[in-house]
Amino acid sequence: MERIIFYSIALIMVVFAIASVTSRKMLRSVIYLLFVLCGVAGIYFLIDYNFLAAIQLTVYAGGIIVLIIFSVLLVHHIEMQLEIAKLSRQILTAVACMVGLGIFLTTIYSHEFNVVENSRTTTTADIGSKLLSYEAGGFILPFEVISVLLLAAMIGAIIIAKGAKLTGKNDKAL
Amino acid sequence: MGSEAIIVFLIAGIVLVAGANFLSNLISHKSDNPQKREPYESGMTTIGPTWVQFKVGYYLFAILFLIFDVEVAFLIPWAVVFKDFGAIAFIEVLIFLVILGLGLMYAWKKGALKWE
Repeated sequence: MERIIFYSIALIMVVFAIASVTSRKMLRSVIYLLFVLCGVAGIYFLIDYNFLAAIQLTVYAGGIIVLIIFSVLLVHHIEMQLEIAKLSRQILTAVACMVGLGIFLTTIYSHEFNVVENSRTTTTADIGSKLLSYEAGGFILPFEVISVLLLAAMIGAIIIAKGAKLTGKNDKAL
Repeated sequence: MGSEAIIVFLIAGIVLVAGANFLSNLISHKSDNPQKREPYESGMTTIGPTWVQFKVGYYLFAILFLIFDVEVAFLIPWAVVFKDFGAIAFIEVLIFLVILGLGLMYAWKKGALKWE
């Protein structure tokens, strides 16, 4: 049963990934990418990584895709179709992709996968208790540092997006 | 139980949508003329392309949304174990939220939330 679900999700992901790179309209590519990311979340759910799947859905399928859509919509000639690359370039890209695929496949097939008995998946509660624990092995300091990182990202985004206007205002005030 | 439910849900979804489309194709009245394909029937046709360039202001909101999105992702495991940890968990997450609240205050002060 799990095999059927895995292969159907994998099929959906492969089809939409190919559609995403072959579509010549930018916005369509983004929407195909959204389906691929949802498929990744489906795989995470299948292997019982519930928290990772939730992150995948909220941050990637929800946030990153919104960001990409906005950056596509900010482009001037959005209705323009992307040009088809030259034949020499297509061949080079195909060779590069094949080399990458070959490396991946040899690594996967040369690795011996051992079945673990009674494998226990990490639940969201486990992650939460590790994250909030201030004893040895806890991650409370990284947890608080994350907020500083997010703060830095927020301030950086504001400064870059409104840079010229901010300095203009400050000059007047000074 | 879990995976069978997904399969049943998937099949039911496909059958319902495909069935509704097929039935409406089967029994609906068919007519085709040039007027039917206009965006506004018996209205004016649009001039120029329908694509518009968005204002850059949207992008800043998207980035701010993404940052708070990541913040909420970190609040999920906190909310799950909140009852076990009690007051300490509350203080820990309060520090987390206050630091991010500073960012929100900064954005507010600099007028990043104002629509121009």
